[in-house]
Amino acid sequence: MDNFIFQALNGLSSAMFLWLVAAGLTVAFGVCGILNIAHGSLYMMGAYFAFTSFQILGLNFWLSIVFALIGVGIIGFLMERFFLRRIYAQPIEFQLILTFAFILVFDNLTKMIWGTMLIIPTMPSLFQGTIPIVGRPFPIYNLFIIGAGIGVAVGLWLIMERTWWGKKLRAAASEREMANAIGINIPALFTAAFVFAALLAAIGGALSTPIRVCDSGVGGAVIIPAFVVTVIGGLGSLKGAFVGALIIGVISSLCTLYIPFIELFILYLIMAVVLIIRPQGLFGGER
Amino acid sequence: MKKLTGILSIALFLVFILTPAVNAADLPKVIKIGGQGITSGSKADYGHQMILGAQIAVEEINNSGGILGSKVEMKFMDSELKAAVATKNARYLVKDWGAHFLFGIDSSGISMALAAIMPQLDRILIICHGATHKLNEEAIYKKGLRNTFRMCVPTYQDGILPAMIFKDRPDIKTIASLAAAYSYGYDSWEMFEKTLKKYRPDIEVVAKAEAPFLHMDFTPQLNALMAAKPNLILATPWGGEGLMMLRQAILLGLFEQPWFKVWFQCMGGSIDMAEGLTPDVKAGKFHGKLWGTARYLWNWPDTPRNKAFVAKFRDKFGRFPNYSAANVYTAIYAFKQAVEQTKSLDTQKLIKALEGMKIQAPDGERWIRPEDHQACYTVPAGNYVYDKSVCPNAFLGNLVVVPWKKYFRNPPDYKLP
Repeated sequence: MDNFIFQALNGLSSAMFLWLVAAGLTVAFGVCGILNIAHGSLYMMGAYFAFTSFQILGLNFWLSIVFALIGVGIIGFLMERFFLRRIYAQPIEFQLILTFAFILVFDNLTKMIWGTMLIIPTMPSLFQGTIPIVGRPFPIYNLFIIGAGIGVAVGLWLIMERTWWGKKLRAAASEREMANAIGINIPALFTAAFVFAALLAAIGGALSTPIRVCDSGVGGAVIIPAFVVTVIGGLGSLKGAFVGALIIGVISSLCTLYIPFIELFILYLIMAVVLIIRPQGLFGGER
Repeated sequence: MKKLTGILSIALFLVFILTPAVNAADLPKVIKIGGQGITSGSKADYGHQMILGAQIAVEEINNSGGILGSKVEMKFMDSELKAAVATKNARYLVKDWGAHFLFGIDSSGISMALAAIMPQLDRILIICHGATHKLNEEAIYKKGLRNTFRMCVPTYQDGILPAMIFKDRPDIKTIASLAAAYSYGYDSWEMFEKTLKKYRPDIEVVAKAEAPFLHMDFTPQLNALMAAKPNLILATPWGGEGLMMLRQAILLGLFEQPWFKVWFQCMGGSIDMAEGLTPDVKAGKFHGKLWGTARYLWNWPDTPRNKAFVAKFRDKFGRFPNYSAANVYTAIYAFKQAVEQTKSLDTQKLIKALEGMKIQAPDGERWIRPEDHQACYTVPAGNYVYDKSVCPNAFLGNLVVVPWKKYFRNPPDYKLP
């Protein structure tokens, strides 16, 4: 039983990393209708900015996250304002081609700036060490990630459900023309929503740096499981993305312990089962 | 006058007999060599190091007159670690660009795929990183795909060598695997387990976990292994994945556990990992339990030749050479030696010349075994240390040298040692 609890807890921290990436992907798709496959690149840029400010500029951990947020926020703004905005009316293939181009640009840009060396900063002293849970050492940082993931989920819920801006976002997501007709500035709202999605990616990237390597291909590595999570949860549904991340994170983790041979494809197996039973995803159609 | 004529005749005769029958004029003015490796993503540094190693070799060769007077030109492409891309690259390099020789390749799967097409392309390929033993034992030796050679140690290094080292450690009674979920990971573990059990039937495998390519979160795998309390873990995820895995293992407190004795990181001695691991090694996070090996180590052997190579590499690029750099460097020189020996670019003649060739690599002499085209040479294993007076990065120290003859499998039966 102890092993089960411990492994489930680990699965929870994996799930929170997935959620942080999937949340931004969901906001970009749910509000702007953009299937941003370069979302992983924004995560990567967040990681590089956080690394640079923490390890090279010597800022503290929290300021390095702020630095990453500012940097990626600017990138997100430029992407939406000057590129994505031009293709909202185009078929989805255009989005895929354009955002794929961004992946190539960001991958090569990071190689030019940071080189090909693997980057992993030291763990901030605040998070070093473990605490015993069911008699085994559990990393403090992983507990922090669980807390951060839940915090982001609660924050998103409050923003979407309890603020005027969130209501406007939901209105624009469900009926764009009607929202425009009642005076909501849709282009500005979309820019803000895309930047918001980019900020979520930046948080994920920045929080990953002490335990995950920062490199020019990391964007591609994180985006696939994040897509699976959003598909399971239902494209555009934040609740779905959160539940999808929990399902994938915890079940994958438990499979590693109890049925290791299935762990490699459990992600896709769960997706296939969900799509057969409920093609729109667990919470598809809900916003 | 007669005397002068006689002297001139003798001189002309000597010039005639000492001049090669086929000289540089019979070779193209430019000999083209085409390389490929992974230059994108989390393992990009391996391909990048290949480029650096090749640049040094090409520069040295051209500065010393080329290959029999022909200049060497190099083109390097990103294999993206995909067999389809690497195959397309190889065809492009030979058919369109006109490469006379191919080198590089990081993965076992790609090595096998390219070995199969090299006879059609009628060129020689020297693999410098892909490590599966299936290449030399099956593709080359059994199937006769003889256009392919390998300049790096195969998975004997990853599986058999650590078994030979740790078989004598009485404190190791339980072992576990954290395997890269592809040929390289499975092969290395199988060799390790079989060899170790041959010498130590008492040793018990208590857990196995695996991680697919591009895996990022190893904590579930690590926890599953830790639940079984193994004394030794053999791990094969490499490059950035290996680095993440070790950082996550530190966070989980694995190296603090009294029952845990050795983590053997198969290609842990690669430069990208050494650079990334430095802060943790420096801070003593591994408690001397992190071991590794590589396919060349910059700090072994301590010979003038190796030191000169490392110094030149550092002066030029500001970094230490990884095994992918040293092996590419050696492969290009092996090709040069073969061309100079045969005075030809004919593939069959070059194959003959390479079979049984002894080539001077930075780390000493390598012998290309004629039966399976495998370069035979020794690379030690060691545990990670940090000594600023030696190197700004962590490196493998306390090296244990086991001669290759003791841990390489040999044709025709390829039995375990």
